[in-house]
Amino acid sequence: MSASIALRSRTARIIFLFPLLSLFLTGCGFNNIPTYEEQAKAKWSDVLNQYQRRTDLIPNLVETVKGFAQQERSVLEAVTVARAQATSIKVDASTVSDPETFKKFQDAQAQLSGSLGRLLAISENYPDLKSNQNFLALQAQLEGTENRITVARHDYIEAVRQYNTELKTFPGRIWAMIFYTSNKPMEEFTIADSARTAPQVKF
Amino acid sequence: MPRRFVFTVIAWICFTGVCLGQTLTFPALTGRVVDEAGLLSPADRAALTVSLAALEATTTDQLVVVTLKSLQGRTIEDYGYQLGRHWKIGQKDKDSGVLLIVAVSERKVRIEVGYGLEGTLTDAETKLIIENLILPRFKIGDFAGGIKAGTAAIIQALGGAASGTVPGPPQAQGRGGPDTNAPVWPGIVLGLAGVGLLVFCSLTPGGGVCRLILQILFLMALSGRSGSSREKPPFSGGGGSFGGGGSSGSW
Repeated sequence: MSASIALRSRTARIIFLFPLLSLFLTGCGFNNIPTYEEQAKAKWSDVLNQYQRRTDLIPNLVETVKGFAQQERSVLEAVTVARAQATSIKVDASTVSDPETFKKFQDAQAQLSGSLGRLLAISENYPDLKSNQNFLALQAQLEGTENRITVARHDYIEAVRQYNTELKTFPGRIWAMIFYTSNKPMEEFTIADSARTAPQVKF
Repeated sequence: MPRRFVFTVIAWICFTGVCLGQTLTFPALTGRVVDEAGLLSPADRAALTVSLAALEATTTDQLVVVTLKSLQGRTIEDYGYQLGRHWKIGQKDKDSGVLLIVAVSERKVRIEVGYGLEGTLTDAETKLIIENLILPRFKIGDFAGGIKAGTAAIIQALGGAASGTVPGPPQAQGRGGPDTNAPVWPGIVLGLAGVGLLVFCSLTPGGGVCRLILQILFLMALSGRSGSSREKPPFSGGGGSFGGGGSSGSW
């Protein structure tokens, strides 16, 4: 009789403890690291998406400018080369924890931003080009894309900050040490060099 | 003593850092037209509100007109998307919000487009609306005219009814249906805890304390249910988000 009660209470205890344990683990941030990791990766794809959008706009823009300002060969070529360089770097979700590729990607995009800025600056000298409807539409799209890149980068930086902080602070640090040993801090964008300013589009 | 002093200084620096980092403030969302800079007459405001409500009634897209006294040192692009996110303009699952922002002292205007409408209202379209309809009027000081023309063009682009048509009841429309933002998780957790407690109680002898706890939980659940039915404000954002779509202009 007493043995059966003991048995019953032991199974009951296990049944009762199991959900309690999972609640306890969730409450103590056991799931935070994978959750934040996924969030940061999603934001990173947003960033890549917006850079891709810019890359897709460029051939059209170059063609349009070429029609009006053929003599600006060096500037046009610089944009094409910078674009080719930026697209040659293979980036994906794993790039965020690979400082070397991340830096390469960032530098290439900055280079592209710089040459695009020069292209838009010289277009100021061609009144026909400036009033061309196609060019105006492209310029508006480019401007919007630059702005979206800024927002996407900002959101990514925030997500990474949350993730990296979780990895380095209590209690996330303990979970990272025991369970998430392969999780590495992610890279953030640095906005130090002047080359990274977005092209100023004037109308 | 010196150590204490150092700590105080560090704490003070951190505190001011926090304060400096969050100086961006947003006006209250008092309606579909938030005229902080006072550019519109009451009649204009009422007419705009009616056509904006009609737009939401037909397409569920939320368009809000806002005039600002100052951008607080930010660019209008930076301020705009943060304002949109703060107000949560647009439907939650569609991110279908648009803001027409006029910053008077910076002489800037912007159409901020939510994620979900970036395909419908492209950057180039917003640029054309700003350049052709809004800026020419702003340049001669006709702010109300520019805002009305711009709003009408945005509504048209979004597929809403032309601004002349009379809509149904402006406030009652589009506000029906259950509030999807009602907290569901606390209820589930509470329910699970209750079931767990019930099992636990039935398996342990002498359940007096258990029953008491259960009764308290039950009462708490009841009071929580009745307390959550609050009055809704006349207009609020649907939970949409922004990612920097749209374009800006200057006069």
